[in-house]
Amino acid sequence: MRAKSIRGRLLLWLAFLLACLLAGFGVTAYQFQRINRFRQIDDELVQRVEALSDDARERGPFGPPPGGFPPDGDFGQRPPRRPPPEDANGPEGPRGRSVQLSAQTQALFNAADMNGFYYEFWSRDEDVLKRSANAPGTLTMPERSAPSAVCQMRTRGPFREAWHFNKMGECALVGRNITADLAAMRRFVLLLVFAGGGVLALGLAGSGWLVTRALRPVEKISATASRISASNLSERINTAQIDSELGHLADTLNSAFAQLEAAFAQQKQFTADAAHELRTPVSVMLTHAQNGLASTCASDEHREAFEACQRAAQRMRHLIESLLELMQLDSGQETIKRQPMDLAHVATECVELVRPLAALHHITIHTELAPCQYDGDSQRLAQVISNLLANAIHYNKPDGEIRIRTQSQNGAAILTVRDTGRGILAEDLPHVFERFYRADKSRSTERFYRVDKSRSTAGRGLGLAISKAIIEAHGGTIQAQSVPEEGSEFQIILPCLPS
Amino acid sequence: MKLLVVEDEPDLLKGLVRALRRDGYAVDPAADGEEGLYKAQNADYDAIVLDIMLPRLDGWELLARLRKTKSTPVLMLTARNTTADRVRGLDAGADDYLAKPFDNMELLARLRALIRRAAGKAVPQIEIRGVMIDTRSRIVTRAGQPVALTAREYAILEYLALHRGEVVTRTILYEHLLDESDDTLSNLLDVHVFSIRKKLGHDLIATRRGQGYCIES
Repeated sequence: MRAKSIRGRLLLWLAFLLACLLAGFGVTAYQFQRINRFRQIDDELVQRVEALSDDARERGPFGPPPGGFPPDGDFGQRPPRRPPPEDANGPEGPRGRSVQLSAQTQALFNAADMNGFYYEFWSRDEDVLKRSANAPGTLTMPERSAPSAVCQMRTRGPFREAWHFNKMGECALVGRNITADLAAMRRFVLLLVFAGGGVLALGLAGSGWLVTRALRPVEKISATASRISASNLSERINTAQIDSELGHLADTLNSAFAQLEAAFAQQKQFTADAAHELRTPVSVMLTHAQNGLASTCASDEHREAFEACQRAAQRMRHLIESLLELMQLDSGQETIKRQPMDLAHVATECVELVRPLAALHHITIHTELAPCQYDGDSQRLAQVISNLLANAIHYNKPDGEIRIRTQSQNGAAILTVRDTGRGILAEDLPHVFERFYRADKSRSTERFYRVDKSRSTAGRGLGLAISKAIIEAHGGTIQAQSVPEEGSEFQIILPCLPS
Repeated sequence: MKLLVVEDEPDLLKGLVRALRRDGYAVDPAADGEEGLYKAQNADYDAIVLDIMLPRLDGWELLARLRKTKSTPVLMLTARNTTADRVRGLDAGADDYLAKPFDNMELLARLRALIRRAAGKAVPQIEIRGVMIDTRSRIVTRAGQPVALTAREYAILEYLALHRGEVVTRTILYEHLLDESDDTLSNLLDVHVFSIRKKLGHDLIATRRGQGYCIES
């Protein structure tokens, strides 16, 4: 599973978009609600301020004074300042100036309700002419900053207040405790948050479902594609149930698979044809050379020529087999037949097979074969082990030693073959698994891995390449280590299969 | 012993025929599938060496058609050496399978084994009243002493020994011992039998007058 899946990223983007939309909607709804609420409160306050002011004008002592209005100029004269009344809450104001509220206005206020509307009425000297019982004690007369009869608003702590000054400089103020309204707004915010969260969750669940549905054909395509392997190239993605956009992709993949299948078939055909074309002439050479050798009338010279032909034919035969085997391993035609087996057991059999050859060269084989369970192709692995042992014998010193060891480590099967030969030079070491690589090809006689010309060199140069191909087909690794003049070590590591 | 070799590569066919004849077999060559099938159906061979890739009629088809009428032992010879090919060959009715290129020694050994098995003899030695015939080394001993036989004499003796208890007609002997290239006179057979009797004792091969020869069991 990759860290960044399309599904995850799509969902993340959808969640982000949805959250933005919901937040925008929530803020707008909140603002709208808040403005409405305050407008309503303000309207109510203004209505009351005006009612209060009207009452004060109608019933106040400021009707035309007895004896008519004073002459012009005297009108604006301020009455002398009076001390504040002892009972500011009383229905009677301080001397001379009392404000009576009409029943109609009174009904607008409910003194008993601490959260209801309250009022206060000041004279131009900031004397309290009248105030309601529920007016907060901290109430002060606002500064006059607007023309008469224009209502002004303020929010003071939990109170929303509206006031205006009349022409006489008296101030009527009506207020209201808006704690409950603010609490309601907070509840509204909570509601918005919860509703938004719910919508977000629902939206994400829905998008998750949609995304999964939309990606299902992709999964189907990838499942089919992963089923298609060297041994099963004929399967195709079913494009009938796939939408046009993905259908195009599926078609492209299908045509790629078809090309791959054709290429594989071609390769297979080529391998088979090459096998036939190469083996038949070698058969002819071998048969005739052997006929010539069997003939009683052949001279020594003829015999020598036939022997040379036969040797060359045998070498070509091994080479052809090795090349074809490599080709089959490369193309995946030769599949590994995995079966539970004991690597130590396979190694024992291989050692027994090469023991006579080792004895011929006075080489001792030491074994340390611990049981080593592994699921592999025992025939193929035996081929690898035999090849390593044959090399270890071939490149050893006379009276040398070979150590073969198997061990199980962290579930991996490990096999090591060590010889006491002349070793491999460091610069040759990386190339020993290459095809036809011969360490002695340039500086023939003085090099390690010197080949005795009398021994058959058939197939040499491909043995390690084939071994590597077989081990890699098992998912394992093969490595070579060497100390010149001391010996070489080949190690196979076969990791256990993930079950 | 008479063999049929079906192989389309002329040089290989020539080499095979020569190798087999040197080993004492009577060998008929066939260069393609149709010729091979015709010969295989119309003569009694002791074994057939059959290539798979043949023009006109391939080895599989030839084998399938031949098996409808005859159970002649067939050794398949092929350049395709995969397990699937080997299994297919054996399942199609081949008795053995040899991949090209091969060593002549191995081909000869396999043919001997094939003919021996077809005659119902599992071991390569046949012992008849003090006469030991080793089909592997083609050496005949009488009371422990090797007896020198010509290739033709040996072939007659081996054929009769492998068909011990049966009366083998002169015609059958001619068919199995002489190939198309031979134009030997018929009375030569009597000369060879006379010679064998001289070397191995008169009572070994009985003459059934008017029928043929027989080694009694």
